[in-house]
Amino acid sequence: MEQLMGNLKRQIIEALNLKHLKPEDIGDDQPLFVEGLGLDSIDALELIVLLQQHYSIKIENPQEGPKIFRSVKTIAEYITAHKPA
Amino acid sequence: MTIYIKGMGNISPQRTWGSDDLLSSPLSYAGDKLSCVEPDYASFIDAKQIRRMSRVIKMGIASAAMAMKEASVPMPDGIITATGYGCLEDTGVFLSKMVGNREEALNPTPFIQSTHNTIGSQIALLLQCQAYNQTYTHNAFSFENALLDAMLQLSEAPRRSLLAGGIDEITGQSHEIQSRFGIFRKQSNNSLQLFSERSGTFHGEGSAFFVLSGTPGENDIASVNALTSVYKPSYAELTEAVRNFLSQAGVTLTDVDLVLSGKSGDALSDGHINRVCGDLFTTTPVGAFKHLCGEYPVASAFGCWLAARMLKAQRVPEIVTPQYEGQQLKNILLINQYFGTHYSLILLKAC
Repeated sequence: MEQLMGNLKRQIIEALNLKHLKPEDIGDDQPLFVEGLGLDSIDALELIVLLQQHYSIKIENPQEGPKIFRSVKTIAEYITAHKPA
Repeated sequence: MTIYIKGMGNISPQRTWGSDDLLSSPLSYAGDKLSCVEPDYASFIDAKQIRRMSRVIKMGIASAAMAMKEASVPMPDGIITATGYGCLEDTGVFLSKMVGNREEALNPTPFIQSTHNTIGSQIALLLQCQAYNQTYTHNAFSFENALLDAMLQLSEAPRRSLLAGGIDEITGQSHEIQSRFGIFRKQSNNSLQLFSERSGTFHGEGSAFFVLSGTPGENDIASVNALTSVYKPSYAELTEAVRNFLSQAGVTLTDVDLVLSGKSGDALSDGHINRVCGDLFTTTPVGAFKHLCGEYPVASAFGCWLAARMLKAQRVPEIVTPQYEGQQLKNILLINQYFGTHYSLILLKAC
């Protein structure tokens, strides 16, 4: 889980071009949207694409988005639970 | 209709922003393209907003900000953008990923920002400007049509301040694709010597924005008094167009103090423009500017910026022409051409 979260932080920084941040600047439980990293709806789409490209995971139900993308930890938990065998 | 230039911002392959004297130390480039000297965009755009922007968007926003600052206009009454190529970098990323990912899992950002009107939209978003917003994408007439739109709007409401500009970028992909046509010079080692050879030109890029108003003021940089465009004219048609253009503007051939030629260094493209300059303006100095900015669809925006700066400074840098001998500079005629098809005439006057 620790390694997965580290990879996710690097991938998020690259995908969203957050050049001013380093992986260690992003807390495992830190909210990604609004008051946390300040991500927005376009970033949410980028994160959906990231999961598809790097982990072959398609989010079928968009209603789950806010729960899945709340923090790096919730994304990692979702990947762990849904990663194809 | 006369419109007045209140402020300008220009990001180009030369040091055209900041405190440098007008083209006092022109930059030379080797190869076949000229790339912009860019400012630190962090001083123009918030870090959170800058992360999604491609280079052309940042160039547009920064040069627009420079123009508004010089004009002391914090909020324009309209934004008019001209671009021949649009946002090429994001278009390239989007199309490459579409092919690479077999049309699945496509990133939204480059798609959203690949449209031609992204630059004008981003300027409006940052300013929270909900006024008129238009983008002209008419190849090498884009800037001319943006300027014409500004003139028409200001003829109806002269007190308005409009932000109008032209912008195009070079990307690796666009340069590679255009190079296949054999239009660029083969490995020259000095772009400032553009006119010493006769085949091919330098690929260029740049972003020049202007704050324009229909009302004269104390700090005007110059005025734009007339403009027209001519598509694929014969030599005779171009000659006639220049005569008619000046006549309608109430200016004689000898009233023109300087002709600023958009010759590109390629003899085939420059044939008409060189003949017109030589035949009509026998005693008038003829300067050039594409050895400074390269060739691109909205290069006339660079020419317009240069003409206005020279009128304000009452000085013609030697790199533009060594022929000018310091007499009063009242009228500059900008004659641009783009690969021998798109010709435009812009008359600028000192204020």
